[in-house]
Amino acid sequence: MRRYRRLALFAIAMLGILPCMIGLFAHMPRFGEHPLPYGDAINLNGVRQRHVTNMVTAVNFDYRGVDTLGEEIMLIAATVGAVMLLRGSRGEELSARPGRAPGRPIAWRSTGQVLIARLMAPLILLFGLNIIIHPQLTPGGGFQGGVIVASAALLIWLGDGYRPWRRLMRSRPIEVAEAIGAAIYALCGFAPMVVGAAFLQNVLPLGKTGALISGGLILLINAGVGIAVACGFALLFIEFLQETRAEEEPDPEEREA
Amino acid sequence: MSVLLALLYVIVAGTGAGVVFSREPRRQVLAIAANGLALTLLFTALQAPDVAFSELVVGTAATPLLFVVVLASMRTDQKKESKHDVGGGGRPADSKGVSRCRPARLI
Repeated sequence: MRRYRRLALFAIAMLGILPCMIGLFAHMPRFGEHPLPYGDAINLNGVRQRHVTNMVTAVNFDYRGVDTLGEEIMLIAATVGAVMLLRGSRGEELSARPGRAPGRPIAWRSTGQVLIARLMAPLILLFGLNIIIHPQLTPGGGFQGGVIVASAALLIWLGDGYRPWRRLMRSRPIEVAEAIGAAIYALCGFAPMVVGAAFLQNVLPLGKTGALISGGLILLINAGVGIAVACGFALLFIEFLQETRAEEEPDPEEREA
Repeated sequence: MSVLLALLYVIVAGTGAGVVFSREPRRQVLAIAANGLALTLLFTALQAPDVAFSELVVGTAATPLLFVVVLASMRTDQKKESKHDVGGGGRPADSKGVSRCRPARLI
């Protein structure tokens, strides 16, 4: 469509939409106002009810844990979809040729780059584990820490290249670990029903506020989410980065199989 | 609104404009990463550290990486192939008579 026709259509649409937008913006609360009764209620009661100090984690994994369970299943579905698409177009065998624009060279890695990647990868892994372990005390949680762990492994690819990284990340254990992580979450939902409570109700002892082990079921669910997210993202990275192999390079996993 | 917040809003607007106005995909990926970093700082200043963590890893590290990898498999210049230049792109069909599609032929 020509440019002036597009602009004419836009002008006609704006004629109808602009008055509505202006009316809407005039009725919105000012920046910094606080019309949040649910947040205030959580802030008031959360510490006493759940013995945690991070209200976001309390809402995510305890008060509204069912929503987070749905998100975990969504993540697994997205990972499975991406894996199916990429393997479907490339081929199931690990020796299938990667799609690559011809003539593109594999980038050469300088020594400084390799050194920095090798130094930073374990530190970032440690930091990611730190974020996963105590979500009820500090900001973070399973999802954030899981993605940090996955990107720490990615630094090895950045520094050392495809083959050492792929030799480190084996597909089969990572797939199993992701499934186990999601299963932990679902089982933590059903376990309270065994003792007569509701689905995903916090039945474990809550502990002392501020201690490392507090919050009851939140810690267990969080560990499951951390494992599932880290392995899910690692699988995603594996599938995408298999496209960056050299043209005739077989996947290193095939030889050890 | 404090000075820090106003400054961060201006920076986010700048990086957002950078994303919109980059025309080449490989440069736009770096603009997306810069936008993710600016948004992370904004979320931290607005006292939402959980969201800032998620935005940092997903918007600055993971998503630009996936874009870069996909772009490496694609041709983004508009070069048209001449008729006699097959260039190894015509793969023979395998035993079942199905030729596998290659993602590298998107122009």
